[in-house]
Amino acid sequence: MGVDIGSLLIKEEVDTNKLKGKIVAFDAYNIIYQFVTAVRVRGGNPLTDSNGNITSHLSGLLYRSGYFGDLGIKPVFVFDGKPPELKQETIDMRRKAREDAHEKWLLAVEKKDIKAAEKYAAASARVDMKIIEESKELIQLMGFPIIDAPSEGEAQAAFMQKKGDVDIVASQDYDAFLFGAQNVVRNLTVSGKRKVQGKNEYRDIMPEWVNLKKTLDFHNINEEQLIDIGLSVGTDFNSGIPGIGPKRALKFVKERKNVFDILDEVGKKAIKENKVSEEEIEEEREIIKKARQFFIHPPVTEVYELKWEKPKKDEMIELLCRKRDFSEKRVILACEKINKIFEKKQPTLDQWF
Amino acid sequence: MFKASINIDLLKDSIAALSVIVDEVRLKISSDGISVKAVDPANVAMVVFDLKSSAFENYEASDVEIGLDLIKITDILGIVERGSIVDLELDSESQKLNLFFDGLLYKLSLLDPSTIRADPRVPQLDLPAKVVLNGQDLRRAVKAAEKVSDHVTLGVENNAFYMQAKGDTDFVRLDMTANELIDLDAGDACSLFSIEYLLDIIKSAGKANEVTLSIGRDFPILIYFEIANAGGSVTFLLAPRIESD
Repeated sequence: MGVDIGSLLIKEEVDTNKLKGKIVAFDAYNIIYQFVTAVRVRGGNPLTDSNGNITSHLSGLLYRSGYFGDLGIKPVFVFDGKPPELKQETIDMRRKAREDAHEKWLLAVEKKDIKAAEKYAAASARVDMKIIEESKELIQLMGFPIIDAPSEGEAQAAFMQKKGDVDIVASQDYDAFLFGAQNVVRNLTVSGKRKVQGKNEYRDIMPEWVNLKKTLDFHNINEEQLIDIGLSVGTDFNSGIPGIGPKRALKFVKERKNVFDILDEVGKKAIKENKVSEEEIEEEREIIKKARQFFIHPPVTEVYELKWEKPKKDEMIELLCRKRDFSEKRVILACEKINKIFEKKQPTLDQWF
Repeated sequence: MFKASINIDLLKDSIAALSVIVDEVRLKISSDGISVKAVDPANVAMVVFDLKSSAFENYEASDVEIGLDLIKITDILGIVERGSIVDLELDSESQKLNLFFDGLLYKLSLLDPSTIRADPRVPQLDLPAKVVLNGQDLRRAVKAAEKVSDHVTLGVENNAFYMQAKGDTDFVRLDMTANELIDLDAGDACSLFSIEYLLDIIKSAGKANEVTLSIGRDFPILIYFEIANAGGSVTFLLAPRIESD
């Protein structure tokens, strides 16, 4: 999921103290999906209340919001709007992968293969309207602003950052950079350990900060060239040019070639070797054209309000404890932590240099 | 090379002023005296310290930089009798500072200066208001604010300096007119500061007869005072807190 340009980015470990007072825009769908896949019990079933309704998303949101309070982060939740047509292929692919995983999960459960069951259960997780609506309700009760993006949430988050309304975009993938986000932080929404994909191992994960300008300066390229690299290796909107990885794409771009030049050069060779047809290359060219336009001018809205309110504790208890079997102690603790974001901000001396 | 003698009380005050900000410092020693610039780990407060050679009983030095563990030296100086003179000598070969006092020799090992955070740049601030007051008055203001809150507003209004602190339930305010101050240059000034930092700063500044505060609107405060009969000076710089909306 997301564009594979991670290897080119200059990543810095984040001193979490530095995040105090920062306004952080979260790709809401992205993190709710994470909660639904990750917050599970043994055997791969999601957390549920006594009526069998999923509570993984609520548990994840509540727990993480307390952590944001500890860090002094002011979160903004940006929800995806209508996906662009370009994304249809990716969406279909994800659905197919999910359905396949679901079948494999059922099979694994039948065979009592717990490890396989956990793996496929996570992969078959889906975020439906009910989960989204419940998440929004809880976010609102916690007092955080919700933004409904007209299209991609990351595009909207990047836009708000460029306007200076948001300090950091938090996401697990780097697509926000292609929309022009200046600072992206990863791993803010996951706990201190993460399962290594496909293995029964866990490793520590630290929040990771990437500054767009530092990365661009390091490679001596501009934002548009980064978009060309992204499009060459493939994004959620296009499959990429066959045989082009981030390093080769960077090399081409630095030779002052754009994504279409790369497509011509690589495409010509592939056609000669009968690997692809000319039509396929032309088709990709059209998709890339549209995707490029989308990254440069994504649909965003200027109509939004960023306002934080104190969490509504009683209503949260009503929603989470009375209806969904959460422990009241946990909800009260989370509220106390969230209230910390209203503490006064202590800026550092650096800003007066 | 560095060889000097200094009154223990002045030495203690100097170390105490630096300890407000950091636990380890780089001392820049030259023939003119000793200077330090240091910023606290959170980048919120800074100290600029100067002690001229004339403040010492004896002073001989060429340019050298040493790293000093302030916690350790504070501990050692605790056993020096009041009014004693401490002889200091740098043994550059073994990287030790020899302290000789009351017939006792203490060889203090030094820190590698390159392992201590480099000197910060000092921001050039144009602060509109200047308040000169007795250190005791500043101490009283901060102590009063501490009773109700963890932050305090310092400002100038109606030709008077004021301190104001608002807690969850209680409120405290102190006004000092130009007559009650040593000097006042009125200007647009109103900034909020962390009490925690100010409490540390007044431990040192509270002893001075004259403390100069330079204040702006939501700007860092500059707290300046002299030590050793104008043989040295200490400037603290503290970033303001900002009301989050």
